[in-house]
Amino acid sequence: MDLSFFLFLSSGLFLGWSLGASDASNIFGTAVGTKMVKFRTAAVISSFFIIIGAVYAGSGASQTLGHLGSINTLPGAFMSALAAALTIYWMVELSMPISTSQAIVGAIIGWNFFAGKPTDISILSQIVGTWIFCPVLSGVISVLLYLSVRNIVRKSHIHIIRQDCYTRIGLIIAGAFGAYALGANNIANVMGVFVEANPLREIRLGSGFHLSGTQVLFLIGGIAISVGVSTYSQKVMDTVGHGVMKMSPLMAWVVVVSQSVVLFLFASQGLQQFLLSHDLPALPLVPVSSSQAVIGAVMGIGIAKGGHELNWNLIGKIAVGWITTPIIAALICYVSLFFLQNVFGQVVYQ
Amino acid sequence: MFHLNVSIFSRTKSLENKIDLFHDKLLDGAMSFKKAVKIFLNEQRSEEYRKLSKQIKQIEHDADNLRRDIENRLYSQNLIPDLRANVLQLVENLDRVINKFDEVVYSFFIEQPEIPLEYHGRINELCDQVAECAENMAKASRAFFRDLSSVRDYSQKVYFIEHETDLSSGNLRRAIFESDMPLANKLQLSSFINQIADIADIAEDFIDELLIFTIKRDI
Repeated sequence: MDLSFFLFLSSGLFLGWSLGASDASNIFGTAVGTKMVKFRTAAVISSFFIIIGAVYAGSGASQTLGHLGSINTLPGAFMSALAAALTIYWMVELSMPISTSQAIVGAIIGWNFFAGKPTDISILSQIVGTWIFCPVLSGVISVLLYLSVRNIVRKSHIHIIRQDCYTRIGLIIAGAFGAYALGANNIANVMGVFVEANPLREIRLGSGFHLSGTQVLFLIGGIAISVGVSTYSQKVMDTVGHGVMKMSPLMAWVVVVSQSVVLFLFASQGLQQFLLSHDLPALPLVPVSSSQAVIGAVMGIGIAKGGHELNWNLIGKIAVGWITTPIIAALICYVSLFFLQNVFGQVVYQ
Repeated sequence: MFHLNVSIFSRTKSLENKIDLFHDKLLDGAMSFKKAVKIFLNEQRSEEYRKLSKQIKQIEHDADNLRRDIENRLYSQNLIPDLRANVLQLVENLDRVINKFDEVVYSFFIEQPEIPLEYHGRINELCDQVAECAENMAKASRAFFRDLSSVRDYSQKVYFIEHETDLSSGNLRRAIFESDMPLANKLQLSSFINQIADIADIAEDFIDELLIFTIKRDI
């Protein structure tokens, strides 16, 4: 393995960094913004559990992306990740609710087109279906959770001070679960395109500790996400806490748990195997957007409160994003691969 | 970890107790006020009245200390950040009522107004209404902290009693100004009645705010 690997991996690391900077706010944004949890606590918990989730549960969603397109050279993987990152940057500029998953899927399709490889339509439709299903499922979970929590709070007669204490503990536990689910589900976006061309070897420490080459790759990606959380997410968390979504800490807890459950459902191989072994319908393991899951959950609470707070403009933006994000990423990836191959003389596919 | 949890919950419990105690002070203040005015009407500035006046002063003093402690803990321990400003406002307004009880009782002690016997019954009735208003205000406020569904019930009682208080104080002032008393006495009595009725008005304003905060607190 030479140093060029890390050069090519840099686009994935950048993607991971930006994911950490933006998506950690979905987990701890309101808690930090409303001063329920200190930023340092949030950053440490997020970083730790994102890495754990990425290393130990990240392979499921990553395999699905691999079935969509196996990018088999490092320069190809580099450009796919960079195209996704550029698309995200552009979508942020347009104030669209970004989805790293949609950008990376678009980039993989762009690579498939350039390399002349077929795109598995059944896998693609499964992934696209999941994108639409994700905010809807998150909304349904948040409605059920919101109504249950509201009932419990109203009937239990807990003192406001004690409720505050329980909410803080709940936010920290939900945040840890959310970070684990984010790492497990979204590491595929960051490192998925590098799996096929991964030259990293397994690590063994004694007889108990063992990481496969892919897990080492995911560990590096997880660290990149964690660096994003620690270095750049505070500003985003403050914005989420104060501006974009005005929520009480208890509502924030409902939103975090809803999106975490959704991300976990679309990432857990154990759960999928359990459901399949009991002849139950299992969800596909697909990287989904935590931002859109959050928006779905907030909308769910809006519906549960009477539907007065529904922001149809935002729903429209999400729907537009389902189509535009992958198309833009695919186009950028296709054009960039052309330059990388013909101007810089890199082998972008085999 | 266990120690940390125990420490957090014991601090929480201690603050809960202080908030409860603060509400108890308002209830004590209301009952003592009612009793003090009755004694003043019967015995004027007697030893018992002096004792009750001192007792109310002590209640007011204790309530002030509790208020400061609650405010201090809410900020220093960074508790209920989303509702802290609202809770502080509620505590301040509850304290205003306790202060007002003390102020009125002390004014009776200092000024010793001459109140003709024919008005004693109506003044007692007005004081009972004001005290009941303050009691329901305290219950509504206590419910805000524990049982949101009851806030509305107590609030409705405050609104009803405040309206009754307005009628009673209006009728009483009219009767005083239609009497043959010297103008100075009329003005003095009218001022006392206004001061007493003001307590119910403060309670009404408090409930207006409380109902808004209740909507905000409901998840």
